[in-house]
Amino acid sequence: MEFFQQTYTALRGPTGVQQTPEDTITRLSDRLSPSTLLADRRAAVLSLKGLARAHKQLVGVHALQGLLGIIQNDADVDPDIGRAAIETVVILCDTVDDSYTERDLGLEHTDKLLEDEKTAHKLFALLGDQDHFLRYSACVLLITVLQNRPQRVQAYFLKAPVGPAPVIAVLEGEKEIVGQAIAMLTALIRQSTEIQKILAFDGIFEKLFSVVTREGGLEGQSVVTDALKCVDTLLRFNTSNQSYFRETNLPTLLCRLLFFDPNIQPDQVVPQEFALQFWNEDKATNAGLILEAIGLLLGPKGAGLREGYTFTRLLVEMALASNAPTTVKVKCLRLLPPAAVALLPDMILTPYMPVPDTNGEEWDRLEAATGIDALLELIMHGEYNGQDAVRRQKESVDLRATAVGVFEHFLRDDHVKEAIISGLLPPEDAGIPAHSPVTPLLFGLIIPPNSLLDRSSVSSVQFAAVLFAHLLRHAPYCKDLARKIIPRPLTLLPSSTADGAFFVPADGEPPPPSEPPSKDDSEDAPQNLLAVLTEHLSLAFLQRSRAELAPRDAREADRVICAYLSLLAQWLWEDPRAVREFLEAGGLGVLVEQLNQPSEIDVVVPGLCAFLLGVCYEFNREPGEVTRVTMHSILTRLGADVLVGRMNRMREDERIKVVGPDSWVLPCPTPGPQALDPAFTPMYDGETEIWFDWAFVDFWKANNHTIQRGIVADPDSASSSTAQSGEESILVASLRGVIAKQAAEIEALQNKLKELTATSLATAETAASEASQSAAKSTEERVTLEAALEAERSKRTEVEKEQEDLLVLLDELSSKRAKDKERMKEQGMEVSEDEDDEEEDGEEED
Amino acid sequence: MAGPSWNYVLKFIITGDAGVGKSSLLVRLTDQRFLANPDPTLGVEFGSKLITIPEEDNKVVKLQCWDTAGTESFRSITRSYYRGAAGCLLVYDVTSRPSFEHARTWLADVRTHADPHLTCILVGNKSDLSLERRQVSTEEGERWAQEEGLLFVEASAKSGDNVEAAFEKAARDILIKIRRGVFDDDRSPGVKSSNPAGAITLDQRKATGQTCCGS
Repeated sequence: MEFFQQTYTALRGPTGVQQTPEDTITRLSDRLSPSTLLADRRAAVLSLKGLARAHKQLVGVHALQGLLGIIQNDADVDPDIGRAAIETVVILCDTVDDSYTERDLGLEHTDKLLEDEKTAHKLFALLGDQDHFLRYSACVLLITVLQNRPQRVQAYFLKAPVGPAPVIAVLEGEKEIVGQAIAMLTALIRQSTEIQKILAFDGIFEKLFSVVTREGGLEGQSVVTDALKCVDTLLRFNTSNQSYFRETNLPTLLCRLLFFDPNIQPDQVVPQEFALQFWNEDKATNAGLILEAIGLLLGPKGAGLREGYTFTRLLVEMALASNAPTTVKVKCLRLLPPAAVALLPDMILTPYMPVPDTNGEEWDRLEAATGIDALLELIMHGEYNGQDAVRRQKESVDLRATAVGVFEHFLRDDHVKEAIISGLLPPEDAGIPAHSPVTPLLFGLIIPPNSLLDRSSVSSVQFAAVLFAHLLRHAPYCKDLARKIIPRPLTLLPSSTADGAFFVPADGEPPPPSEPPSKDDSEDAPQNLLAVLTEHLSLAFLQRSRAELAPRDAREADRVICAYLSLLAQWLWEDPRAVREFLEAGGLGVLVEQLNQPSEIDVVVPGLCAFLLGVCYEFNREPGEVTRVTMHSILTRLGADVLVGRMNRMREDERIKVVGPDSWVLPCPTPGPQALDPAFTPMYDGETEIWFDWAFVDFWKANNHTIQRGIVADPDSASSSTAQSGEESILVASLRGVIAKQAAEIEALQNKLKELTATSLATAETAASEASQSAAKSTEERVTLEAALEAERSKRTEVEKEQEDLLVLLDELSSKRAKDKERMKEQGMEVSEDEDDEEEDGEEED
Repeated sequence: MAGPSWNYVLKFIITGDAGVGKSSLLVRLTDQRFLANPDPTLGVEFGSKLITIPEEDNKVVKLQCWDTAGTESFRSITRSYYRGAAGCLLVYDVTSRPSFEHARTWLADVRTHADPHLTCILVGNKSDLSLERRQVSTEEGERWAQEEGLLFVEASAKSGDNVEAAFEKAARDILIKIRRGVFDDDRSPGVKSSNPAGAITLDQRKATGQTCCGS
């Protein structure tokens, strides 16, 4: 009651005097000064709050300073007054308003608030206050000023004495405040790498993810989405934060949030818990954000990381073997790093198919397939084996187109292309007529055009042509091999093969033919793929020319014709032998007939025909039935200028113009100046179409000019394309690479040689000196040895001499003894023949 | 993606004048290479390394190092990092007396803003350079460190000499503090144990993958 009375008195003023708003506001503002009692101040603030919206300017002029003072001094003591003051300032600084003046006022007030750092610092401090409502309102005011003057607030934040801790701590608060806190953080980190880093340092990632888990993981609603968007901002352009993030165990958490086992081993099967999940729109958005984070951490190189394999596996599994929404799958394929594609052939996936009419509640598990097979299957037939392919919805065509991009990365290595093409050749030992194994790719290429009114087949032909062009473009060896492909006539195909069992392109293992070729077939000489395509092109034109063709079917036929023409143009480019085969198969007639009576409305098909004819003329360098001279006269008759004009007009068509490296799925019908047929309407809402991929458009733009010049050239003139053809420049580039590599090698070898020579010289020197040393030593030794030997010898002679003397002495003695014996005998004494003699001798002598 | 293979995560900051070789020390620690001509660091870069401390039961410590910008204009930002750090490498250049003298102001900054239990090691970098170019003697550095109660080491990011030792020395000191209970669980933002008591549980299942080696 007291409050109302006071307010009333304040509003009324002295009795009987007419009040103006200015008087009232001035009076209320005066009461904000610290000298007033707290209760009165509180009443004044509440009154001002009521007036702020209607009298934004007056309240701003008179009261803003006082309110800021209250925030500064009273908020800690009395949360209520703090909260009321802050809420009033929020109204004053608000710029979300229709009128310009109000908006300018909001900015003006914001500038006043941010004149010095005091209020901002206080607000950051209040985020850590005990009072829930105070925290909440401080958060709201910070959001407001951050929206108005982000850089100033960010600069103050970096100097805030309380530091980043309270800003992060609000994330632990109640549910209502967490939403505001995330909005505030999102504004605070925008475009400020420094703040992003300091918050990461203080653990914002962990806090944000704990919000995510607390709010129910990916199935949580907008709070989770906002938190994940915040994570994205913290990581996207911040390498320092990315490396910090990798260091934490949060990458593991990213996997777990998607129910993916982060410790999965290559030989383990991914459990159903991951493959078949419950999905709704929120979850798809949130999962998309998690996948973006994974893509950021993987980077372009990706696979080298600690979690590289897990992340790659997750992306592949989700894209090719899960029930994730198609948009999520597109994201997975788009984020797959080019280097990681090499892992595809070794990954074993178990794809799933929804059981029809169960509204996605029951799923069939299909046979296991390698990642690359599953990818090709997806491109050729569409998601879930083409269940919805006829509708050509944006996301499902996008998915196939993105898969083509992944396949293109897979083909980076020429050997892979060769291996795949070799896998399409007829087995060598099968005798004649041997047919190529029917793979989904080849099957897609050779679907005969009379069955082409089937919309999903048309898409298959288009994608098959794009894939096959990727295999052949600027790959002369692959083109040579491709001419040996002998497709089995489709009438003989067992129907089960047509449903598209998986095939292994790299291993080239053909699905075993379940029916032997029939006898009728052997009468015709088997046609190679190029001839089949030529024939189908002709059939497609025939189909197209039927008068009763509905506009929709006519457009389908045009798509197929464009697919054939673009593939042939890339195949025949710089391949004279293929040109000859094409001409001999009747290709010339088909093209000339079309150019003779071109469509009045369409510019693309005649333009492509002229281009292909030009390619044939340019590269018709092999002797054959149709010579350049023959062709030249036809070109003259058609009029070279007319043909050049047709090629140029094609440039204007939207279907060529809007194609970019990542965008070749176009809305149907593609908007543009030339509507194909006014009667045409798409069959389904939101239908999309494809005509050409970027690789073809790029090829066509690069070579269009060469062909235009070639068409007017004399039949005897040499090929003019040699100067700047793509193939040549690639060759030159690769040769340059080889030369550079060799030069480097030579240099390295020379250096090594120098080094070796140096060392060998050194060794030789040391060896020589050693040798001389040892020689000197040995001579020395020899001298000493000789001396020793001499000494030894002289010693020996001495000893010998001595021995001789002794022998002589002995001889003398024995002769003397013999004499003595004789004398003793003579004297009749007994003489032994033995030693006794001596004794006797001795006795005698005694 | 196995669970953490560490007992503690320690947050370190590297600070000191511009050009004393802070980034080079960090790159030497994490990549074992020498950064010959680094750009003046704009803001803070991040690197981490696992080291084992044999003196403390062979505990494995993950060092998370934030390299700060030495440039004066970024100083206010750098201050924010002090608060959350467990360790600080205060770097000067032994061939530059001014950088040694400025270390006083850097230390004052650290003392004002950081946790009082922060371990600070004074590192004299470029110790590989010849004696003639030296402007700060080892004794002088050591004396000052002692006066201020800092650890001290002379190191060379170029040769790699003592770089790891500097970080190890500081980490060991922190582990001793942990063992003595200087840091209680919640109050030290720079130290994280592998079995955190008050830490957020992101996912219950995660806990099973972790090793429990807390002291």
